[in-house]
This record gives sequence, C-alpha cells and structure tokens, in this order.
Amino acid sequence: MNITDSFTRIRLIAGTTFLEAVRQKFFNSLLLISIALVASSTFFQQFDFGTGELKFITDFGFGALFFFGSILSITATTQLFFNEMENRTALTMLAKPVYKLEFLTGKFLGAHLLMLCFTLVITVVLSGILYWREMVLLERLGNELLSNGSLIRYGDVFLFGFLQWMKFGIIAAFVLFVASFSNTNLYTIVVSFFMLIICQLQYIARDTYSGMEAGWERILVLGLGLIFPNFQLFNIGDQLVFDVEKAPAVSTVFQITGYGAFYSIAFVLLAQVNFRRREI
Amino acid sequence: MATPAICIRNLTKDFAIGMRGLKLRAVEDLCLEVGDNEIFGLLGPNGSGKSTTIKIILGLLEASTGNCEIYGKPSKLVDARRRVGFLPESPYFYRYLTGRELVRYYARICMVARAEIDAAVDSVIKLVGMTEAADRRVGTYSKGMLQRIGLAQSLVHDPQLVILDEPTAGVDPLGSAAIAEIVRELKRRGKTILLSSHLLAQVEGLCDRVAILHRGKLVREGRVDDLVEEKDAESLVVQGLNAEARAAVEAEIKAQGGRLARVEKPKLSLDAYFLKEVHRREIEHVTQQEGEEEL
Ligand SMILES: Nc1ncnc2c1ncn2[C@@H]1O[C@H](COP(=O)(O)OP(=O)(O)O)[C@@H](O)[C@H]1O
Ligand SMILES: [Mg+2]
Repeated sequence: MNITDSFTRIRLIAGTTFLEAVRQKFFNSLLLISIALVASSTFFQQFDFGTGELKFITDFGFGALFFFGSILSITATTQLFFNEMENRTALTMLAKPVYKLEFLTGKFLGAHLLMLCFTLVITVVLSGILYWREMVLLERLGNELLSNGSLIRYGDVFLFGFLQWMKFGIIAAFVLFVASFSNTNLYTIVVSFFMLIICQLQYIARDTYSGMEAGWERILVLGLGLIFPNFQLFNIGDQLVFDVEKAPAVSTVFQITGYGAFYSIAFVLLAQVNFRRREI
Repeated sequence: MATPAICIRNLTKDFAIGMRGLKLRAVEDLCLEVGDNEIFGLLGPNGSGKSTTIKIILGLLEASTGNCEIYGKPSKLVDARRRVGFLPESPYFYRYLTGRELVRYYARICMVARAEIDAAVDSVIKLVGMTEAADRRVGTYSKGMLQRIGLAQSLVHDPQLVILDEPTAGVDPLGSAAIAEIVRELKRRGKTILLSSHLLAQVEGLCDRVAILHRGKLVREGRVDDLVEEKDAESLVVQGLNAEARAAVEAEIKAQGGRLARVEKPKLSLDAYFLKEVHRREIEHVTQQEGEEEL
C-alpha cells in the first residue's frame, strides 16, 4: 500500500463528498438560518445591555454555532454516507483498487471540510456583528472602558470556532461509526443525537465518579467516561473573548485539540471495523 | 496452462434475512473458470445470483464458503482489483459532474499517471461514442448514455479484465449492438470480458463461452455453439427451387438414406431485422442531408 497514492485517493473522495454536500439545499438553508439567527441577536439591543450586550451577542452566537453545527454535522454526515450507499456509487468506488478505510476517511474529511466552511462563515458573521456593536458602544460611552484598544479579543472568537470545529469532527466520526452498522438514515440520526446528548452531559458522570466509592460501579462510570468524549471540555467560551486575566493557556488549547483528534480517529477506526465486513 | 482470469471454486453465498437467522442461498457450490482473452457470459433469469457472483469476484461481498481468484490473487485483496474494470448494474454516478469530469475522476482514483490522463479519458470517451455529450452533466443523461459513460469509467485505467453487469439491460437494440461492438473491440485488444445478462438473444452471438445459472446453481457451462447446436441435424438453405426440383431433391435425400425432418423458411431475428431497417434509414437520412447541402 503506497501512502502517497492513498492520500491522493482520500483527497479525491473527500473532494467529491464536500462538493456534493455544498450543493445540497439542506446545507445552504441551514447556513442561512444560522446567519439570520446570529444577526438577529442585535435586535435585543433595545434592552440596552451596555457592555453586557456584547456578552449576550457572543453567547447567542456561540450557542447558535453549537446548536446548528451539531445538527448539520449529524444530518450531513449521515446523508453523505447513505447517499453513496443507496445510489450505489459506493459500489463503483469500492470495486476499484480503493481500501475501505480510504473511503471512510474520505467521507469523514469531506464532512469535516463542510463543517469548517460552516464554522468559518458563522464566526466571521459573529465577529462582524460584534465589531459593529463595539464601535457603536464606544461612541456612546466614550473611551474610558478601554484598557487595551478593544473590548473584545477577536482571536478568541475564532479560537472558540476552531474548538467547536474539532468537536464537530468527533460528531462526524461517531456518526460514521453508527452508520457503519446501521441500515437506515433515521436510525443513524436518532442514535447519533443520543450520543451527542450523552457526550454533552458526560461531565455529570465525571462528577458522580469523583463522589463514588471504589467498586464495580465506579469502574462502569469511569468506562463510560472514557468511551464517550466529554464535550464540555470544548466549551471554554466563558473564559474566552472577554476575560483578560483568564485567557486560556496555549497548552490547554493544544490538549483539547489533541483530545478531539484522538476521538475522531478512534471513531473512524471503529467505523472501519464494522464497515470492513459490510456488504455493499 | 496460463493462470485463468477468474477462477471460482465451490462458491456458496448465503444472505441472512430477517431476525431469526433465516438464510437465503443466492449462490450454491459454483465452480467456474474464465480464461484469458475470452468473452464469457453469465446468463440466467432475474434473481439467479449473477450480480451476487460478480460482487464476490470483485471482493465487495464475502463468500460464505469456497474461494475466488482473479489472475491468481484472492479477490478479497484490494491488489487483485488493480487491473479490473467494473460496470455495475443500472449504474448511477455523481450527477453534478460532467461525463468527462466523471471519467477523469475515476481515472485519478485508479492512479492513471498524470501525463496520460487526458489521452486516456479522451480515448475511452471516443471508444464508447460519447464525445459529443461528454461535457454535459451526468444528471441529464439517458439510460443508454449512463451505460456508455459507465463503460468508459470502467475502461479508463486500461484494465485487463472487464466485468459488466447487465450492460445491455434497458438499452435499445441500437445501443446494445454498439455495446456488443465495444466488447468485441476489447477482445481484439487482448482483454478478458465477463458479462452477465438475462437477455439471451443479445449475447448469443457475442460470447465465446457461457454459464447458465438458475437459483444460484450452475445449470450448464460451455461454448455457445456446443450448447445450441443440434448435433444430429444440418440445415440446407436453398433459393430458386421450383416444386418439381424440390420433389427431386426430396427423392434424392430419401435415396441417400436421409430423412427430411422439417421444412421451414429461414427467419431473421427481430433484433437483426430492426437493426437492418434502422441502419438503412440512417444511411438514407445521411445521403439525403448531404444531397441537400450540395444544393
Ligand atoms: N443484500 C442482499 N440481502 C439479501 N438477499 C439478497 C441480497 N442481494 C441479493 N439477494 C438475493 O439473492 C438472490 C440473487 O440475487 P442477484 O445476484 O442480484 O440476482 P441477479 O443479478 O441474477 O438478478 C436474489 O434472490 C436476491 O433477492
Ligand atoms: Mg443482477
């Protein structure tokens, strides 16, 4: 198996997967809705939150990114996988000298690329709105609020976007894992949403764990905590953007990135275990 | 003896259906050998296991028991498919690519060298007669065109073995004849072709050898001529004989110890008749057009 050839094939498969995705109405409409929602947060300015307004817009934007991003990641990955199975284009592809792992990795990267686009657009829109409101606010309140030239660290908005994107990667990978053993679209989507909720609430298990006595129950909870990634790790938004003293350490960001990459790769490999024996 | 292109030994395939471990036997104890540079037909009614057999040959399905090799390599290995081209049954492709982009895409997937891609793509598109429509989106293609572009993508990396699943299903007789002609051309170029079909008349004059499947079992296998020939009879096709002369011939046959089994008018097959008629009109149409241009 020649590694450069392998990468070429993965790149090609990811390319068509991505192209197919952006041509779907679903992606485009979800993107528009998300942009509209992020933009609509400015209508709340009548409450005159002061600097609180910026915080509100940021939270709202991050919330929309997570919410719609998760939906898109689950539905798009499912759709991209099953389209290929149902239209039997996978049959044509896998009858060529293509490894099934290359196929899965290509699908994963295509979906991940789609999420990169989505995340980028949303964070750019969010930053634009924040910048506009910041300017308005500064004009009204004068410059005394300013300590270092700006209220907002825009780099952190993108950092948050990046971490969310890593999370979407894990989601796309576990959707592929579910899809690898399921026969229908709907089943995959439902199971994936359950997994998403478990990962989102996983910190509860961690809390329980630390309060438990040694025993098999504790091992069980520990096991669950390891199988399902902890999505709360990626939500360091509170410390981001505003809090000057508590800016996240670079090493933390690297750790979280590594954590995300590890789980993504692990789920793709698990998907391969099922997919290898799947009848096309 | 040279390694056969395809070698299938005692192949059985069961599909698990339903919850209670119910099994459906799609292929049963099949043994087949396809020699190099041969046109081999896999025939049988719908559901007789042709596609299943083909998928196992391509390593897309795993055999329940038995084994299958392509040029001596187990078909489970990806490496065995390096020089194999495949046209699936009623193929479907990424609709938003043009025909040319599609063929090019698969050429790159199959690692055709960069310097050769353009020439390879052009030549297969020409071979299947899709030059004019090559820059239209695949989504706008008719059934016959999909089949042709599918054939092009299966040939673009110059495979030694070409596997075609129902290449003529749903294609008009003209298209089928064109596909048959392409298959003959491939044989002239030294390739091996395995094709499946339930349209027996179309493959009769095409295949060197055929295997007939029924409910997953091999019914017959051999050279087409051997299978359909009536060994103990010959037919004489005679023209311009009046009644007297015919009576004389019949008497002579009797005198020689033969027996006149039946007398019939030789018939053209409907396919052949259709092709002849369409071909004649096509020529008339072209000469007429040329005539108009000259005026
Ligand atoms: N994935 C599958 N699961 C269950 N049964 C299948 C599957 N694929 C094919 N079969 C069954 O196997 C038999 C042979 O099918 P197939 O090989 O497609 O026939 P053919 O190509 O000759 O028309 C049929 O009875 C079909 O219903
Ligand atoms: Mg079939």
